[in-house]
Amino acid sequence: MKMNNMNRRNFLKLAGATGATAVLGGFAGKAGAAGAKARVIVVGGGFGGATCAKYLRRGDASLDVTLIEPSSKFVTCPFSNYVLGGFRTMDSITHSYTALSGKHGVKVVHDTVTAIDPAGKKVTLKSGKSLQYDRLVVAPGIDFKWGAIQGYSEAAAEIMPHAWKAGPQTALLRKQLEAMPDGGVFVMVAPPNPFRCPPGPYERASMVAHYFSKHKPKSKVLILDAKDAFSKQGLFQAGWDKLYPGKIEWVAGAKGGKVVGVDTKKMIVDGELDKHKGAVVNVIPAQTAGSIAIKTGLANETGWCPVDPNTFESKLHPGIHVIGDAAIAGELPKSGFAANSEAKMCAAAIVATLRGEQAVFGSFVNTCYSLLTPEYGISVAAVYRITDQGIKTVPGSGGVSPKDANDEFRRDEAKYARGWYDSITAEIWG
Amino acid sequence: MRFNKYSMSLLLGVFLAGCATMEPPAPPAKAPAAPAAAAAPAAPPGPPAAPARKLTQADAAVLAGNCFACHGPNGHSPGTIPSLDTLSKKRIISDMTDFRSGEAPSTVMGRQAKGYSDVEIEIIAGYISGLKK
Repeated sequence: MKMNNMNRRNFLKLAGATGATAVLGGFAGKAGAAGAKARVIVVGGGFGGATCAKYLRRGDASLDVTLIEPSSKFVTCPFSNYVLGGFRTMDSITHSYTALSGKHGVKVVHDTVTAIDPAGKKVTLKSGKSLQYDRLVVAPGIDFKWGAIQGYSEAAAEIMPHAWKAGPQTALLRKQLEAMPDGGVFVMVAPPNPFRCPPGPYERASMVAHYFSKHKPKSKVLILDAKDAFSKQGLFQAGWDKLYPGKIEWVAGAKGGKVVGVDTKKMIVDGELDKHKGAVVNVIPAQTAGSIAIKTGLANETGWCPVDPNTFESKLHPGIHVIGDAAIAGELPKSGFAANSEAKMCAAAIVATLRGEQAVFGSFVNTCYSLLTPEYGISVAAVYRITDQGIKTVPGSGGVSPKDANDEFRRDEAKYARGWYDSITAEIWG
Repeated sequence: MRFNKYSMSLLLGVFLAGCATMEPPAPPAKAPAAPAAAAAPAAPPGPPAAPARKLTQADAAVLAGNCFACHGPNGHSPGTIPSLDTLSKKRIISDMTDFRSGEAPSTVMGRQAKGYSDVEIEIIAGYISGLKK
């Protein structure tokens, strides 16, 4: 079968979702046939949004693509744990949008989207301006459930930082670690599923232990976890035993790890069983899709956004696509790598839809490196496809680093972690 | 940064080996791995089934686009991971096939390559080797 001659019915069969049917009915061939420049707005300039803006222009240079992002520079969550570990600077994890606007023809607007009107196809900005779109991509990342832990609010986060959105919070937590006395305890409150960067809290614990090993040898790390298991757990715990014996304690949710409240004045964390005093307390709260997605009605009762895996078009508001951490993307984790992969798929699907062409073949990849020391890396990886049950790992692909790997293997994975960061940031902001 | 085929082969060998020596002379990428703790388990599952339809250039862009997250824009790596943009189609196919079978040792590429059918590997290799240098 010659696919570029594929008829519309076959395309719809492939695309599957009823959302796509409705959209295509109203849109097929419209922009292409009229020769008009289709307007695509991307909300959010992180790993998902910035990639999508770039790849929309790469897929069709005639598209009018606007990226709306409040910050003039973006600080990545990946590698922010190494700022805490003391061997990366904030500058080295900060990226600008000049290449996106200068080299790739994306209109970058530094403003905040305050409202989205799905029926009128319009976004309103904090500055008061409003912009029309033909297609909208929403990549707002995460927000926090502030009420979930008693006493933990935005104001409390200035005393007990979350540092789960990189930037000033990262710098604050680093400053607190530097200022704390040797012998003090670093208490981390780890979030319930699902949350941004599944291995991230445990990499952070490793990085704090690494910093302690150099500068505060009497200090310890205590992780109070809402969960009973975590990403790359076997590799992390074996690594901790070897590298930081007795220095990192992890308390599972079922064993008293669940936290009900915090007292920022006394620096106390209330577990279900015990109270814990920290010299530094890092609370990573339960999460939802970014607030603009929730406000627009793109999220369901879970707090996350259901999408058609072929296009990342919202199942709740046709014409709007949701990518990255905010989306419910089957087995894909909420990672910067996955957001980058989803963004490419979404951009290709939007280009195809605007041209009235067949849906693209869905394929995703994720690789998450974590460091236990600057020279000890572990990874989890997989390849994903779209199935009748949504996005699933290709059987036989993926998995974690070998349990019994030697030091050289761990060193190589640390080296490739650095290489990955250089590559993906060049791929997105370069 | 450009490599000739031989230095690329050395680099790939180092990249993938993990267990192999980091000093030259390194074994060619396709030489059987030195016995090591990190060696891939025997008898990996067969390659995934080919996709249900013929793949197009747009599909190839999405499939290959995933490689660039580690190997850099258009396969040109700015850091410690080997570039792909200097490799021939044939070379990419043989490397991916060898990673998939475990014949070529690797840190992560074996886990990745097992996610692709022969048809997909061919179309990825064609796309990357066909990009403007």
